[in-house]
Amino acid sequence: MTDIQVEAGSEISEKDLFDASAGIDLEKLRAQNRLRKFLDTSARRIISLGGIGVIVTLLLLFVFLLSEVVPLFQPATIDYVGEFELIENSAGETLHLAMEEQAEVGFRLTDDGAASFFEVPGGVLISREDLPVAQNTFITSFASAEADSNVLAFGFDSGSVLVFAHEYRIGFIGEDNVRTITPFLTYPLGNEPIDLAQGDAVTKLAVSSENDAIVVAALDGANRLHVLRADRERNLISSFDPDASSDYELRQVSIQEPLNNVQELLIDGDLRRVIVLLNSGQMRVYDIARLFTGNESSADFEFAQPDLDITQVELLLGGMSLLISSADGTVYQYFFTDQSIASPPVLARSFTVTDSPVVALTAEQREKNFIGVDQQGFLRAFNTTANRETFSARVARQAPVAIAAAPRGNALLVETESGQFSFWQIDNPHPDVSWAALWNEVWYEGYAEPDYVWQSSATDNAFEPKYSLVPLTFGTLKAAFYAMLLAAPLAVCGAIYTGYFMAPAMRRKVKPVVELMEALPTVVLGFLAGLWLAPFVENNLLGVFAVLIILPMSILLASLVWYVLPKRIRHTVPDGWEAALLVPVVLFFGWLSFLVAAPLEALFFAGDLRTWLSSDLGITYDQRNAMVVGFAMGFAVIPTVFSIAEDAIFTVPRHLPYGSLALGATPWQSLYYVVLPTASPGIFSALMIGLGRAVGETMIVLMATGNTPIIDINIFEGMRTLAANIAVEIPESEVNSTHYRILFLAALVLFVFTFLINTVAEVVRQRLRGRYSVL
Amino acid sequence: MEEAADSREQTQDSQTDGSAETAHAAETSAQEELNPICIEIRKLNLYYTKNVHALRDIHLDIPRNKVTAFIGPSGCGKSSLLRCLNRMNDLNDECKIKGKIRIDGEDIYQKRVDVANLRRRVGMVFQKPNPFPKSIYDNVAYGLRIQGISSRRILDEIVENALRLAALWDEVKDRMDANALELSGGQQQRLVIARTIAVQPEILLLDEPASSLDPISTLKIEELINDLREKYTILIVTHNMQQAARVSDYAAFMDMGNMIEFDSTDTLFTNPSVKQTEDYITGRYG
Repeated sequence: MTDIQVEAGSEISEKDLFDASAGIDLEKLRAQNRLRKFLDTSARRIISLGGIGVIVTLLLLFVFLLSEVVPLFQPATIDYVGEFELIENSAGETLHLAMEEQAEVGFRLTDDGAASFFEVPGGVLISREDLPVAQNTFITSFASAEADSNVLAFGFDSGSVLVFAHEYRIGFIGEDNVRTITPFLTYPLGNEPIDLAQGDAVTKLAVSSENDAIVVAALDGANRLHVLRADRERNLISSFDPDASSDYELRQVSIQEPLNNVQELLIDGDLRRVIVLLNSGQMRVYDIARLFTGNESSADFEFAQPDLDITQVELLLGGMSLLISSADGTVYQYFFTDQSIASPPVLARSFTVTDSPVVALTAEQREKNFIGVDQQGFLRAFNTTANRETFSARVARQAPVAIAAAPRGNALLVETESGQFSFWQIDNPHPDVSWAALWNEVWYEGYAEPDYVWQSSATDNAFEPKYSLVPLTFGTLKAAFYAMLLAAPLAVCGAIYTGYFMAPAMRRKVKPVVELMEALPTVVLGFLAGLWLAPFVENNLLGVFAVLIILPMSILLASLVWYVLPKRIRHTVPDGWEAALLVPVVLFFGWLSFLVAAPLEALFFAGDLRTWLSSDLGITYDQRNAMVVGFAMGFAVIPTVFSIAEDAIFTVPRHLPYGSLALGATPWQSLYYVVLPTASPGIFSALMIGLGRAVGETMIVLMATGNTPIIDINIFEGMRTLAANIAVEIPESEVNSTHYRILFLAALVLFVFTFLINTVAEVVRQRLRGRYSVL
Repeated sequence: MEEAADSREQTQDSQTDGSAETAHAAETSAQEELNPICIEIRKLNLYYTKNVHALRDIHLDIPRNKVTAFIGPSGCGKSSLLRCLNRMNDLNDECKIKGKIRIDGEDIYQKRVDVANLRRRVGMVFQKPNPFPKSIYDNVAYGLRIQGISSRRILDEIVENALRLAALWDEVKDRMDANALELSGGQQQRLVIARTIAVQPEILLLDEPASSLDPISTLKIEELINDLREKYTILIVTHNMQQAARVSDYAAFMDMGNMIEFDSTDTLFTNPSVKQTEDYITGRYG
């Protein structure tokens, strides 16, 4: 019936249009049409451009992060540069070989007491110095301190020792400002040998230097140990003028009991221990400080390998770890885990250099790297922290005489046979990173056991950086977990009530207010959490817990009271507005909770819950802890989750719950069996987006936790998250350093993390949507 | 909702005049030998808001195990009337109802009436097919499960019977686990009917069940109604005169919330007693 009318009408209107078209400016119409088309096309293009732009930006971000991270995992390289012969060769055998900072000057010490400096590579002699060796005395022993101190020592058959160092002065001369390196020898304890072994020949020698102290240990012909400690005398002038000639205060001590079968003497980097390695596979350790106070203290330890055939011993950078190479080509890393002299050395790792004896072993000066060379001239370099090989090469045809690594770890000098050198270039910028070092437990120097530790920097050069991402990842998840623990139930239940039960008029007010919470800058939330909430929670801990328990109960109680109230009173509140009545209830019971907290605390927890927790339960309490973060970040996450979940529930078509109700289901059954499953994709993505936000959130965790990178699920302790860690450390990290790149790796991990969460969320959401898609 | 209940109580009190009382007594006595009147509607008034008076003084007796069609222009109150019978209007908070509806002699707006149970007894099928986003099986089993029936054997049996009754069994028996939303519109509507009859209602309220379907699906629904008429008291709202004429035994014409005419379908379509009815069914109605 109506159809006929329309048809009839259309005929008329067509005719009308035809008539009217005479009056219309067709040209204008066409122009308008063109404009419309143009706007249409350009809108489409701009929107596509925007979409593609977003994807490209994201990709670029990813590629940039990746490009910063990839060098970490690129293998180190060693390249042959050339061979040269040292002109004006010294006749003696090489005792020590070294290079200065720039790897331009080489230093060679021979057993006839001659020190020569030569150009590298090239072999042109720069200078040669003979050490002040008295006539008719012979060098009977030699020792070098840690490579970065450049301190060396000779022991003579006269029982005296000479401590000297090779140093380099960089100057710029001429108009062209040509950089020249002037090498020279210094004698920190004077150029007169010091009588240490009281006339008996020094057979074994060890020297170590740290800041303002030098310790020398010497074994004489009768196997007695003599220790010399030299402390720089500090006065007002010398402490401000590094070049001022300084005096050392010398102290000596001797141990009368002879030590038999001594293989090697060592002094650790802290000048705490004299370590005596014995042929019998044992080790004796003396406490240096106690030696000089008169109460001698020593301890004997067995090696973990009973038949250890020691070929070379070297101290790793920092002097904490002993690298002991055995005849089977393996290098063992031992260190002490405790300052106490009685604590035994632990075998942390072993490295297989080759299967033949290691004849040269050298530790690098800037990294925890060492290089071992075997009898066939086969070289292999390792990093101890990362527990991995960094590079390897065949550097000589036979056993090399000596090897020296440049201080920067970028060059290697090998004396292949007396006076013949080969020079190698090394590119090994990030030796201490390996996948295992980032994600597995690592046994760091001085630690009692392998552990996950993040400690990226320290004041000391010899510090072993600890780059485990596990504590940070754990902290991220912990913060997100506690935030979601608060946010998820509150936001989802709130969304269910608002979307399904609440009166539309109230919903129109409640929803924007909750969403407004999202507009709060997180820095403000973090600031409030750190400076107001954290101390408040600390002072009212029981009150906070009382709120968590009393408040839900009071809400239930209020509902019960409401239910039994006479109808007349109940009818004064319109349907769906009952929730508004809870506001005074919540306020009152919230206040009451804090009111009752103090007497309760006095009654049950000896007046202070916090003290009680730590003393009676042994639970640590940090002021800025996971609970505070949970509150603050939960508060930040709630609006996101609430808003999306509420939309999902509210947009479930009404005919679905109606269909359920019409089958005799109660409203709650309809909610549970029909509305929630249908809204589940939305609720799920709301939770995932909330989680993604909690994982990536920076300012709140930065300000509301102590940023301690610990692995502890305890709600009363803090954490450090990946995001906060980047924010804290990136300003202080050197560009393109390992630390810097690892922070980028942390960013990449975070990126991948949120990407994964979002992808999983999207996949699950699509699946659920496929299942619960609504007509 | 509560306010509505109160006002109902008042109306009921005021309504206890002699005639109604005697009628009521007669009906209750006859109920034992299956009263031919299934639903009694007395002076029913429905207000959506204060100003929207959707139903005015409806008085109607709906016979048992017959198909009663409600026709009338859009917004005349047919659907509203239907929704009063299973109290779906309760869901609208501002909706107020005055008057009395008795099903099998029992006032369904009494306080002690279990609304969920009432809705189980008075099944409803909506204009738009609304299967739940679940499997075909779960859809039909839904009403039983929410009542706490979980025995797979009983469920299987009832689901199959319901689907057979809804003439859908042969089409879906091989894909009971498929999502109900994969079915065609007509199949979905028959599924909804199967879902409704699975809970063994006494009355079926069909609110324009075929209006969103194609002619073949419509035909199937009509055949289904024919099959179901012996077991259920069926109330159907339709805009399609032919459909009303084809499927119903009785027909009611409503306009502006008033019950204009109620009679057997034959009488109403061939010899309406009110001019307004005649105008409407012959298409002269504005």
